[in-house]
Amino acid sequence: MKYALFLGCKIPYYVPHYEIATRRVLGELGVELVDLEFPCCGYPMRHLYFRSYLLSAARGLALAESQDLNIATPCKCCFGALKRAQKFLADNPELLREINVELAAEGLSYSGKVVVKHILQVMHDDVGMAELQSRVKRPYELLRAAILYGCHAVRPSEVTHFDDPSNLHLIDDLVKVTGATPVTWAGRLSCCGAPVRERNEDLALATIRRRLSEAREAKADILVIACAYSQMQAEWAYSLAGPPPQRELIEGPVLYPQLLGLCMGLTAKDVALDRNTPNGEYLISFLRRD
Amino acid sequence: MLFDLALYTSLALLALGLAYKLGHWLTTSIGPDSRNYTPAQRLSASLKGLTRALRGRSLGPMMAALVLDGLFQRRSLGHSRWAWAAHMLIFWGMMGLIFLHALGPVLIPSFTATLNPWLFLRNLFGVMLLAGAVMAMWRRLRLPGLRRTTHWADRAALALLALLVLSGFALEGAKIISVHSFDSMIAEYGNLSEDNDRAALGQMWREHYGVVFPQGQVPAGLELMERGLEMHQDSCVDCHDAPQWAFASWPLSRLMAPMAAWLEAAQTALWLYYLHFLAAFAALAILPFSKFLHIFTGPLLLMIRVAVPREEMDPAARALVRAMELDVCTHCGACSVHCSVAEAVNHVPNLAVLPSEKLMALGHLARGKTDYGEMLDVMRQGAYMCTSCLRCTLLCPVGINLQDLWFAMKDDLEEAGYGPTTRTVAKKALETAAPSRSVAPFRVNNGEFQKDLGLSVQADTFRNCYRCATCSNSCPVVFSYEDPKKELDLLPHQIMHTLGLGLADEAMGARMTWYCLTCYRCQEACPQGVKVADVLYELRNLAASRQGQGESC
Repeated sequence: MKYALFLGCKIPYYVPHYEIATRRVLGELGVELVDLEFPCCGYPMRHLYFRSYLLSAARGLALAESQDLNIATPCKCCFGALKRAQKFLADNPELLREINVELAAEGLSYSGKVVVKHILQVMHDDVGMAELQSRVKRPYELLRAAILYGCHAVRPSEVTHFDDPSNLHLIDDLVKVTGATPVTWAGRLSCCGAPVRERNEDLALATIRRRLSEAREAKADILVIACAYSQMQAEWAYSLAGPPPQRELIEGPVLYPQLLGLCMGLTAKDVALDRNTPNGEYLISFLRRD
Repeated sequence: MLFDLALYTSLALLALGLAYKLGHWLTTSIGPDSRNYTPAQRLSASLKGLTRALRGRSLGPMMAALVLDGLFQRRSLGHSRWAWAAHMLIFWGMMGLIFLHALGPVLIPSFTATLNPWLFLRNLFGVMLLAGAVMAMWRRLRLPGLRRTTHWADRAALALLALLVLSGFALEGAKIISVHSFDSMIAEYGNLSEDNDRAALGQMWREHYGVVFPQGQVPAGLELMERGLEMHQDSCVDCHDAPQWAFASWPLSRLMAPMAAWLEAAQTALWLYYLHFLAAFAALAILPFSKFLHIFTGPLLLMIRVAVPREEMDPAARALVRAMELDVCTHCGACSVHCSVAEAVNHVPNLAVLPSEKLMALGHLARGKTDYGEMLDVMRQGAYMCTSCLRCTLLCPVGINLQDLWFAMKDDLEEAGYGPTTRTVAKKALETAAPSRSVAPFRVNNGEFQKDLGLSVQADTFRNCYRCATCSNSCPVVFSYEDPKKELDLLPHQIMHTLGLGLADEAMGARMTWYCLTCYRCQEACPQGVKVADVLYELRNLAASRQGQGESC
């Protein structure tokens, strides 16, 4: 199990805790991560600059291809953008040829053979559920988790192939293995609001706030996230909300590798739970008491 | 006389230039919050911060940064080992030469430029500097990522360094072969007692020290040679080692030897001497206004950044540091080579996408050197293409906190009415659509524009739409508004239908097109396989390119 880690642009500055937890947990699970100097996945450019998006995505794919590696990314938007670019290029040989001419300037080329996976797929399919089960040392008890599946991983399903579109279960499986209980809630497949933040901040904030209150209505204790943008959105909403007694939001957003790592016996610091907004160390209180 | 005049003039200009720059750092504001602080507040906050850092626990890390990041340029290694090697050669070569030319004679009583190790070291440092400059120039000419950000000032700086070294070597070479130099050394140090003493010493110096005498001036002979050797031992050898030790100038003097008479007549050594020291003093005088200023500002910033994290810095001191950072940049191009979105310049003809160029633009703007409005538009595009991935900040060899500058710059742009590009493009598209929306029926287009929707092969799937409105019913944006038709202009299924009628402006000018969350629920749900979300993406692209804000491919 060896992958090039496609961290994306947002994690190093905005969500460093996601990187810490991802590296630590995948390392524990025996997944080897290689660091390449990847460019942007192109996702933020796609609104106004389609060719730049495609070129940037293709360059990242070609970079992995040049090292004979497949890509694992913790960001759902990077995942979606890379998958979408692969589909665009597969559907349009002329576009692929033109992009390859540009890539050739630095000795790169993209043939289409790179496999792009989200880290949750790596955990679920490559590491395997049985192995994960055996790694859980202290499962959670009475922890109700609202899962945010993440638009760009799930849709368009014919492009992303993240999970079975008619019966999404991948993240539910991963949450169940930790002992937590996935709750049924309205926002499971909905948007976090991030993509529109630059153009319509009110709508972006209203969208994430709606998710957080839906999760609260479903009596969830945490919101399980596995995307850089969704985590940024949730932390933004919390930073604008008042102190705990007043806010109508659930306890807080947790990144999946943090959730898994803690019950595997790693410390809260190992998975950087103290760097979440709000502080994620409350999760410890849900671990089974020995 | 001319030497002293030039020296003191250049030192005075250097001091004035530095004072001017300091004045700039005290008054230039980057980021709206910086404007709140007067020069006095900035200065006192900075001095206070500096004293606190020096007295506190930061002293150790600051010294470590000075040595590792300053003297050994550790941060450059993250950019490229070759860049590091080139800069180390230039830096240590230059430091060595400055020591030998300016400090050595003052600090070391026995210092003699024509004796080893100084004679050898001058050539060694010169060759190091030259090699570094040639490597740097080669990189700038050959590497595409560097070539596109290389300006005349970068080439001029390297050329000036090369000129300094080459004129020095040429001067030394010309002096080695010069009879005039030989005679003036005799006049000063020689102890001639017999008539043919000059010829004797001359023969010795011709054979072993490379002086080129005119035909017949110095006859050969074994006896004379012995006398010459004796005189050489008495008067010369204590102050002058063999010129072969000047391992760069010596071969150059052999190249010059055939032209010796002509070079002597033209007083070449004298002219080269003028060229050499005037070039050095010119470099000194323009230093505050060139990239060489980083010799002073670079180490300072490298120490500041480890002493106080930017978020914890006193905002008054931060105002000064931000302004100073514009003058720390060496325009080395590392940030632009590694930039996450650098590929965008292939299709978006705006170099301000690249960090090094954006910083230059910011500098021009801060100095009021540019047409304001047009520049802001260019900078806005660059600013909002940036994904804030932090790579340039982590990489910058002189430790500029570019991330902080970009955020401050975006705040400035926003305040000047230059917010995010997508928001601006959206606003203009809405304005374009507004007049026709108020009249019914819509003006029907000839279908020309439908051809423009060709970025992806699936864009024209809107033709399959039979207006079942499943897309609109699954849309979270539609769901977010009380009266969506009023607040979004057109709903997704209406946009698809509008496209069928060829009404470009209406489709691009609907708020729905711009408020799309790209969650793909519509596309996933469409029973007709219309790529609704992808089509909306394309509409945004189309609006940008129609407004001259998009790509130029």
